[in-house]
Amino acid sequence: MSTTQFLLAFFILCAAGAILPFLTPQRWLTILLAAIGSLAALVVLVVSAMLLAFGAEFHVTLWPVLTLGTLTLETDPLSAFFLFVTALVFLPVSIFSGTYLTKYLTHHDVRYFSLLYHALFASIVLVLIAGDVISFLVAWELMSIASYLLVNYEFERAESSRAGYVMLAMSEGGTIAVAIAFIMIAGATGGFGFSELRSVAPTVTDALRWAIFLLSFFGFAVKAGLIPFNSWLPLAHPVAPTNVSALLSAVIVNLGIYGIVRVNLDLAPTTGAAPGLIVLVIGSLSALIGILYATIQGEMKRLLAHSTIENMGIVAAGIGAAMVFVASGHQVVGAIALIAALYHLANHSVYKALLFIGTGAVEAGTGTRDLDRLGGIIHGMPWTSAFFLIGVLSIAALPPFNGFVSEWLTLQTMLRSAVLSSTVIKTIFAICGALLALTAGLAITCFVKVFAMGFLGMSRSQAAAEAREAHVGTRTSLALLAVLCVLLGVLPTYVIPVIDRAVVPLAHESATAALVPPFFTANAQQPENLPAPFLSEFHDLGAQVGREFLPGRGLVVLHRGEERNPVVFAMSTSYMLVALAGILVLIFVAFRLLTRYRGLARAAAWDGGLRHLSPGLTYTATGFSNPVRVIFAALLHPAADEGSTEAVAVHFRTAIRREYTEVHIIDRFVVQPPITILRNLAEVARRMHVGHVNAYAAYVLLALLLVLIVGVGLL
Amino acid sequence: MANWVLKGLRTGVKSSAYPNRPDDAPGVSPGRPMGTRLKSPTAADELVARCPTQAIARENGGIAIDQGRCIHCSRCRRHVGEAAAWEPGYEWAAQTSDAATALRKLAGMFGRSLHVRFVDAGACGACMSEARQINNPYYNMHRLGFFITPSPRSADILLVAGPVSDAMRLPLRKTYDAMPTPKRVVAVGACAASGGVFGPSFAALGGAAEIIPVDVVVPGCPPPPLAILHGLLVAVERKPPSALVSAAPRPTTGSA
Amino acid sequence: MAMLDRIDDDAAGAASFPELCRSRWRGEVVATLDEAQRACRVECGPAHLRDLCQWLTRDLDFAFATLVVEQTPPTGWSLLYAFYKDAKSPWVHVELKLDAAVSAVPSIADLFHGPSFDWHEREVEDLFGLHFEGHPRLGEFILHEDWPEGVNPMRRDFDARKRFEPRAMEPKWEPPTIVTAPGAFAMPIGPVFSDFAESAHFLLESVGEDVIRTIPRFFYKYRGVEKIAEGQPADRALLLAERFSGIAAFAHGLAFCQAVEAICGIKPPPRAQALRTVFAELERLRSHAAAITGICNSTALAVATSQAALIEESLLRLSCEITGHRYLFGSVVPGGMACDLSAMDCRHLTDAVFGIAQELRSLLQMLRYSSSFLDRLEEVGIVTEDKARSYGLVGPIARASGVARDIRKLFPYAAYGSVDLSVPVEQEGDGYARLRVLFAEAEQSAAIIGGVLSSLTEGAVRADHVRLRAGAALMAVEAPLGAAFHWLRLDDDGKVIRYRVTPPSFTNWHGFHLAAENFAFQDFPIILASFGLSNAECDR
Repeated sequence: MSTTQFLLAFFILCAAGAILPFLTPQRWLTILLAAIGSLAALVVLVVSAMLLAFGAEFHVTLWPVLTLGTLTLETDPLSAFFLFVTALVFLPVSIFSGTYLTKYLTHHDVRYFSLLYHALFASIVLVLIAGDVISFLVAWELMSIASYLLVNYEFERAESSRAGYVMLAMSEGGTIAVAIAFIMIAGATGGFGFSELRSVAPTVTDALRWAIFLLSFFGFAVKAGLIPFNSWLPLAHPVAPTNVSALLSAVIVNLGIYGIVRVNLDLAPTTGAAPGLIVLVIGSLSALIGILYATIQGEMKRLLAHSTIENMGIVAAGIGAAMVFVASGHQVVGAIALIAALYHLANHSVYKALLFIGTGAVEAGTGTRDLDRLGGIIHGMPWTSAFFLIGVLSIAALPPFNGFVSEWLTLQTMLRSAVLSSTVIKTIFAICGALLALTAGLAITCFVKVFAMGFLGMSRSQAAAEAREAHVGTRTSLALLAVLCVLLGVLPTYVIPVIDRAVVPLAHESATAALVPPFFTANAQQPENLPAPFLSEFHDLGAQVGREFLPGRGLVVLHRGEERNPVVFAMSTSYMLVALAGILVLIFVAFRLLTRYRGLARAAAWDGGLRHLSPGLTYTATGFSNPVRVIFAALLHPAADEGSTEAVAVHFRTAIRREYTEVHIIDRFVVQPPITILRNLAEVARRMHVGHVNAYAAYVLLALLLVLIVGVGLL
Repeated sequence: MANWVLKGLRTGVKSSAYPNRPDDAPGVSPGRPMGTRLKSPTAADELVARCPTQAIARENGGIAIDQGRCIHCSRCRRHVGEAAAWEPGYEWAAQTSDAATALRKLAGMFGRSLHVRFVDAGACGACMSEARQINNPYYNMHRLGFFITPSPRSADILLVAGPVSDAMRLPLRKTYDAMPTPKRVVAVGACAASGGVFGPSFAALGGAAEIIPVDVVVPGCPPPPLAILHGLLVAVERKPPSALVSAAPRPTTGSA
Repeated sequence: MAMLDRIDDDAAGAASFPELCRSRWRGEVVATLDEAQRACRVECGPAHLRDLCQWLTRDLDFAFATLVVEQTPPTGWSLLYAFYKDAKSPWVHVELKLDAAVSAVPSIADLFHGPSFDWHEREVEDLFGLHFEGHPRLGEFILHEDWPEGVNPMRRDFDARKRFEPRAMEPKWEPPTIVTAPGAFAMPIGPVFSDFAESAHFLLESVGEDVIRTIPRFFYKYRGVEKIAEGQPADRALLLAERFSGIAAFAHGLAFCQAVEAICGIKPPPRAQALRTVFAELERLRSHAAAITGICNSTALAVATSQAALIEESLLRLSCEITGHRYLFGSVVPGGMACDLSAMDCRHLTDAVFGIAQELRSLLQMLRYSSSFLDRLEEVGIVTEDKARSYGLVGPIARASGVARDIRKLFPYAAYGSVDLSVPVEQEGDGYARLRVLFAEAEQSAAIIGGVLSSLTEGAVRADHVRLRAGAALMAVEAPLGAAFHWLRLDDDGKVIRYRVTPPSFTNWHGFHLAAENFAFQDFPIILASFGLSNAECDR
């Protein structure tokens, strides 16, 4: 079958998924959704694999619109990559939905959920395969509305309505900015197909180019959740159903990144380093602010939402770096940066979906998502804990999981800024690199807190003590994603050439072809431009060990500073996995040997000789992250609300109350000031409304006079 | 800025020569009564009556001292009549468990590196103060391979001081149970050995042996730091133990 | 009743105090002066207890010493509240006599300086079963949760010699937490904790960094000293008085002996008084050296810890050389001293103490310039002056918070009357202030030892006949950790009927939570060390 036929089958499946639920009895609804959703996702997987890895093509011309042009659908390797990632997430989320949605069967209409779910899937795919401005914008709007309706699924709850409203309003604002940017580009050409836009891009004036960049970047940044437009993310995630949250964080925010890459690297590539630097700085700041607020959250979904902001920041930083390198003429390094960003995007989708589904499983098993009331659920939910642990290790960027690979690549590209000439740019790169490193440290703190406080230790509530293991369907989706995390981490040398295909049209150079030394490639695609002394030195490092039987030997980043002494940074997660496994086996064997003649006693933790250690005497999640709150108090600006009550006399206190409330730093500096100014202006303008008809008549007269004067003046 | 390094270097080495050579610096030990031959027949009864903790017993025309009960009140030494003899020295630790082979097992494994956990089971503070002194530059227990650990989970030896007050029964028992085998218990002081001045009462058990198995007893009130070191060394069989009862010496006339 | 204005010092002189009492409380109390005790006995009924105590503490600025409860045969109670002020005022003993029909006494724990009385009432309720109306926190103070209700060990019908077996099978103990905050928890410390630490339990309520509230739990080391002293001859009870807190053995033994001497009218010879002063100061010097070692150890300043430990060990060896015991056990007896010093001993003592004072001075000088060390102590563990007064804190801790009270100066005993003593006082109330007070007092102790030994007269060290008779006395001494109050009642045979000790640690542990709250977790061990209190002394 050709790609066109596959995609047609996909849309038919989505239509079936939207309509069939209205014809099926209630007890089959969730299974139906899971089945059709998974099947649709598989179809898209196959199509995107064909497009990306096997060089297939897709181009369909639809009907013409007025005199503007014709609607087209076409893909290139970039959109194929995003299609692949989307389907990779939709598959396990659909399987998970099969069991998760049963809790909505009683009070909500799951048929509409299924309709919206498949509409969302279809609109996302449409966005990615759109070949011209109008189809893009139409699909984009459909996607926004579908996602809003899904997020606001429990519309009867006040916070859900409010969150959905904020999300929709910000999304529409972004869409307007994007639309204006597209119109600006399209206005210069006359047609609105992407290929036409590409051809006219070099002739655009500087001012227009800046306007296009700013509007499109900030417009898409809303969808991607970058600062200063991230306020909707932490509001929307906790109120949405968990499978929708997974889609939000793992698929929909990717579309924002897709838009940024598409417009600023493909359709209207930026010139000069400044736009790239803006993207880089905003990305780094998003990363830091995102993880900072994630660390102090106590509710799992809100924590993961802030973490999404962090990861999108890292991706944006990579893209910004790529834009700077490409604009400065270092295409190969730019290609590395773009590969790092896209790899991180894929990784994030996989492990964020894993973590969200895990959160859904925890919520189903214990009834709560509050880390301060969980604890010790590893006993009741061993499988979920194991898979969740893999997700935690991945997002904390620990080897040999996937987060480590993309984090390593991103930091390497920050270091590659040494090839640039301008000191100012290099300083900015250094500062952003430091911010990313700080982010990585905080990420480990945050997710150690999540796993240790949520799953280990003593159960802090009755619900946590009685945790039940998740349903088989949930465990399947978790297992699928966990395996993906491991594979993406251990086999990066197979993944990167695939991503490279998506990057080549953008960076105009292939990183793998230029950089990978001969003994790291399986095929004979030898780079001839590597100096011989370097090759022999590398040989001595033992890079050849086991290359016959170990999969994916290693990742290499070269710094071609001088021809004589190129600097090589290499790491191999597959080697790491083998070494790790070997060490674990050795330890296990040693342990067995040493304890053969000794006894092994199991006892409760040492508690200082207390009669009884209750959970209230163990650390809570808030306590664990409180030092971070204290250290960053200048940024977080917590407002304390304290009080104490006494009985009889001041030294017999009976209760002490202490609450901290924080307003997000972006809200404080970016969102609230304009609102305050607007309010003040409105207060001033309110004085116009005196309430007398005479005054309003006078206003009409004044307006008429003004129009006459201006009109006469213009004439 | 104060230069602590120079200050420390200038102070020099203060470590005691014990256990390689006896330490006879003045004031390292209060000494204790020893079994004495008495000339007058009523002296023994007088001394037995004077001892407030019944540590003195008549024996063989003299007195024997149950060192586990002696609290160094010096009333037998300062008696206006015939007084008890007083011995200097500090090697007082005695083995109370009959598992000598068990002690050897501990010595074989960890004789040169041991972790010690101290539990205060109602002690008056003097025993703990003496035990704390074994960490000071004069006695320096680290050079003998002993280390203090805050958790019983990594402890080999449990040092107990105090007559085991009522409220400390459970914590002491829990501490002992939390230690992994092999483990040894050293009871420090007259209170841990026999209850001391407080004795068995409604509020105190009267010795650590009432609640946990005790291997080595270091008598004294309080035992000086060198005696505690001796106790630790006895627990790992690096020094021979002493006797808990100091018997009255036999008459020197006649065949030996 | 109309409230009187504050009376200044001169008006409340010793002889005129009963007059003042009678004029203020005409008819409601009976005030008599006890010349021997230098005390004014004020007998009142339960109805006026609260107002009387309020008047004494708030209007006349008296401080609370101790509450002594005795069972009067056949079924009555006698409560004695002892107050003191300064050298010009007498002690005020407020006596309350109850018969068996009354089993509740109005609580004074909510009055002015209420925290001074709080723990005394809780102790009495636990051990005697006497209820204090209006006290919001009675129960489970000394006797922990497995001790059955209704059995009170200090009652006369309780046999102290036998183990009391009946216990609660599954005693419930819930941590008494009061903080409500998102993510609040209580961090348990003890009873078995740290390297060398006395057994006590602390619950630190916190949200993660700052300790919001400290809930200490003591009396893990309660050995019932007051109970097992009853019925013992005085010389046996002296052993208990000495050894319930081994590190302040001489001071407590001295207080006991002075109480016996006051009851039996014995006057120790001047050489004995002088030697008592010398040994008391020697003990204070050693106790302060130990406290300094503890503070340096808590901040992990290793060389300073070793230096201070060397000083402490040399003082212990010195004590052993001159008295035969490292902690001065068995040195003091009713009537004088059990051992004497030769001239060579005196010279050796003077030289050694002089050398130690020099080492302490150089140690302080070095510590003053260790900024990382001072960082951990300055402005950490602050106890303000008004809180110190309100809780009735005593000793170096109180003097570091501006409360300039020292029993050696207020009611000189032994040879302190002829010693030139200035009480070092600091105002900040933080850890560094407490450290400076320790050093200043240690310096002064060395000077006092040198001064008293240089003017030592020849003579006996023990009074000739010590004939015991019935009576009661309250004695105060300045132990190294603060003011200690011993009440003793003997019968005709010289056996102890009632022995009540209020050690300084008992008073000061109550105020410990003031210093530990609102500071970080990591400061807790340092604040603990800067207080340098003894649980053995508090728990008895």
